[in-house]
Amino acid sequence: MQWKRKDLLGLYDLSAEEITFILDTAAEFKKVSERRVKKVPALRGMTVVNFFVEPSTRTRVSFELAEQRLSADIVNMQAQASSLLKGETLLDTVKNIEALQVDLVVMRHSATGAQNFIADRLKCGVINAGDGAHEHPTQGLLDLFTIREKKGGFKGLNVSIIGDILHSRVARSNIWGLLKLGANVTVAGPSTLVPREFEEIGVRVCHNLKDAVANADVVNLLRIQHERQNNGFFPGIGEYSSHFGLKAATLDIMKPDALIMHPGPINRDVELAGEVADGPNSVILEQVTNGLAVRMAVLFLVAGCRK
Amino acid sequence: MSELLLKNARIIDPARNIDKAGNIAVADGVIVEENSLNNPEIIDLTGKVLSPGFIDVHVHLRQPGNTTAETIASGTAAAAAGGFTSIVAMPNTSPSADTAGAIEYLRRIAAEQGVVKVLPCGNMTKGGKGEEMAGIGSLKNAGVVALSDDGKCIQDHGLMRHVVEYAKSFDLPIMDHCEETTLAAGGVMNEGKWSVLLGMNGIPGASEELIIARNIIFAREIGWKIHMQHVSTRESVDMLRRARAKGIPVTGEATPHHLTLTDECVKKFDTNYKMNPPLRTEDDRQALIEGVADGTITVIATDHAPHTQTAKLVEFDHAPFGIIGLETALPVCFTQLVASGIITIPQLIAKMTTGPAEVLGIRDYSLAPGNAADITVFDPEAEYVVDKNKFRSKSRNTPFDGMTVKGKINLTIVDGKIVFREGC
Amino acid sequence: MTSYVKLFDSAEMDNAVCELARQISSHFCDTGKEFALVGIHQLGVPLAQRLHDKLLESGIKSEIGMLDITMYRDDIGTRNMLPRIHETIIPFDVNDRVIILVDDVLSSGRTIRAALDALTDYGRPGLIRLAVLVDRGDPEFPIRADFVGFNVSLPAERKVLVNFEDIPGMDAGIYDVNWQTK
Repeated sequence: MQWKRKDLLGLYDLSAEEITFILDTAAEFKKVSERRVKKVPALRGMTVVNFFVEPSTRTRVSFELAEQRLSADIVNMQAQASSLLKGETLLDTVKNIEALQVDLVVMRHSATGAQNFIADRLKCGVINAGDGAHEHPTQGLLDLFTIREKKGGFKGLNVSIIGDILHSRVARSNIWGLLKLGANVTVAGPSTLVPREFEEIGVRVCHNLKDAVANADVVNLLRIQHERQNNGFFPGIGEYSSHFGLKAATLDIMKPDALIMHPGPINRDVELAGEVADGPNSVILEQVTNGLAVRMAVLFLVAGCRK
Repeated sequence: MSELLLKNARIIDPARNIDKAGNIAVADGVIVEENSLNNPEIIDLTGKVLSPGFIDVHVHLRQPGNTTAETIASGTAAAAAGGFTSIVAMPNTSPSADTAGAIEYLRRIAAEQGVVKVLPCGNMTKGGKGEEMAGIGSLKNAGVVALSDDGKCIQDHGLMRHVVEYAKSFDLPIMDHCEETTLAAGGVMNEGKWSVLLGMNGIPGASEELIIARNIIFAREIGWKIHMQHVSTRESVDMLRRARAKGIPVTGEATPHHLTLTDECVKKFDTNYKMNPPLRTEDDRQALIEGVADGTITVIATDHAPHTQTAKLVEFDHAPFGIIGLETALPVCFTQLVASGIITIPQLIAKMTTGPAEVLGIRDYSLAPGNAADITVFDPEAEYVVDKNKFRSKSRNTPFDGMTVKGKINLTIVDGKIVFREGC
Repeated sequence: MTSYVKLFDSAEMDNAVCELARQISSHFCDTGKEFALVGIHQLGVPLAQRLHDKLLESGIKSEIGMLDITMYRDDIGTRNMLPRIHETIIPFDVNDRVIILVDDVLSSGRTIRAALDALTDYGRPGLIRLAVLVDRGDPEFPIRADFVGFNVSLPAERKVLVNFEDIPGMDAGIYDVNWQTK
């Protein structure tokens, strides 16, 4: 196949073939970062704007580095959704960015669908770096990449995602990608944060950590946000940790070769025991390395596909 | 004086149970016997349906406060184009229509610039804030036909109970926007499969249902009319059905969009699918249709809510709730409900004439001689594509643009005067 | 309609590969230097493998690698699609090494330009030479092949297609492809 999309908005939109195409492309870009010369001229002369309407450190650094390794010119912009509300509209802001002859906009936004909204109205490419609780496609892809690299494929693989699924864009991108590639997906966590509606798309929903991990080939733990406690979703971090935190002892009931994943940043000893995060099953730092390769691949494909 | 002879129409007059071919005569603003005409203008309406003028009990005219989105002049012109001869203006303008002065302003502008009849609705509470009762007696004297805090909902049940009790003594029906706000807080769409899949904050059906239940309790206890605005869930329809079976004086309206669209539409991230109450599930939609068909829901109302493109062309989370509906109500309902065989033309007309009239306490809303000549004519066979750029409304926030529909308004007559004419 | 005219059949093509191997071996056996063959995706890769095998039959050992030049193309962002990136495998240290880039057809020279950039990002080769099965003789860049199987002169709009294996509907061989729009 050939890549034909001007934007990457979410894994919901992609076919299994397109996802595999990105992962294959990323495998070649991963090698670039392993060379002494960690740079290719692919996007030489192109300008990428990293437009973050929500704070981010990790994702932004990963994108910036990916852009630099593709030889693109970079501009970083930050804004607050609240100030956008009062002043210039989001659409005006991005139209102004585009008027500067920018080739690509990498955007994070706190509102679900903000990237879908602007992508339809811009000629330049748009890459979603996370929108609300909707999608975080490059995180989903880097998780898929890591799983494929370690497990060889997805058919019949049991992947459990544990934590605040309701508010997680990482969970959603993972779910769409994993389902399309043939994995069995389980989501688990407090019942207030893991809606039953996921069953309607073929995801197993459970509210018990042991059930979720016992048969899992991959366990992906999500960061639990303290603010959810204030909104009455669960009683407290301590109770969360005791019921849903993955501890060293939990490994005893798991498959010995199960992968432990986490999109970071980790709340050590809350959702994941520090010793497990650092242990032999953990691929958390490899996820970070792979994130760079996946973002290079996505930037390359989206930037390369323009008329 | 001016005389009209509307010939060869299919006359549907639900109040008198009439559905037959014939002529309607108009002189000096009222319906008269045909043989009393001297030299009328004759309009041939062969193949067209003629009925009493449509009434929309739920319209936002935005004047005063947001005249960029709509004015009394443009909103009533849109109403005329949609076949509505009377519209009830919701009080959530800026400032709110919570005083006699505000109502007098509305009536004066409507008299000067309005194309159709504007029936004022006053606030139940000051500023629609749900804290203190508005001057309901003065509002009555100023000419309001009903009370509502639409857009908001009184959360203090004690206050609501007093309002219903007090409104009863002034013979003013209550029209309530049913929304329990702690459940709805932060929500932008229906809570369900699609909000979960899209990662959006949901507004659960329970938010509406709690208040419907409350209102049924108060209507029974106090014995006064409460009309449930824009009913959207199956449970709401079920409660309404049971309450009406017991003789409790409650009524309910459904909007064209809740009857035809579902929450799955939100996946397009088009803010013209953002309204409150939100588009619900297909099951809820079917329940609304069942309610319309079995008479549980007696009113179709548009909740015409104009917003400028500037306001709507933003992130879904940040867009205001609401869509316009006056100019698409008949064709959308006709296409989805009548042409598809769910209800008959007379049933649809009843939901837009006698149903709303009953809510407002208007007696004998019919084409009987002597009544005001408020008349709507439409062509049930005309098929066309909705084009928002042709709307009379100042706003364009509709999800129905580009939709192929059947049923076109040809003629709208208010007090014997033609206020809209196209294709006849 | 697209017409395919066979320029060289399978036997002629095999002879040309042998001839290429002979040129390479006579050139480098004199110097006594070890060398590596690096095939450029797509068809430079099987050609490099064939050369490697022929050389081995003559008792000459060579390293072999494969190179994808997509990331180094000069037309990224000017097309409405992107082709798949194939695997780059350079299983040896390129520093100071003699490398023979291998491609099926030398046409514009742009692929070779990109390949030189790509290869030099892996290190600092001692010497780079170019072997092609078909040299069309009119490159857009000042790039010449050192070892050539066939010289073919055709108008620029025509394409030279190398097919190493018999496939349904097309025998192995080298073709002149004429894209005719009706």
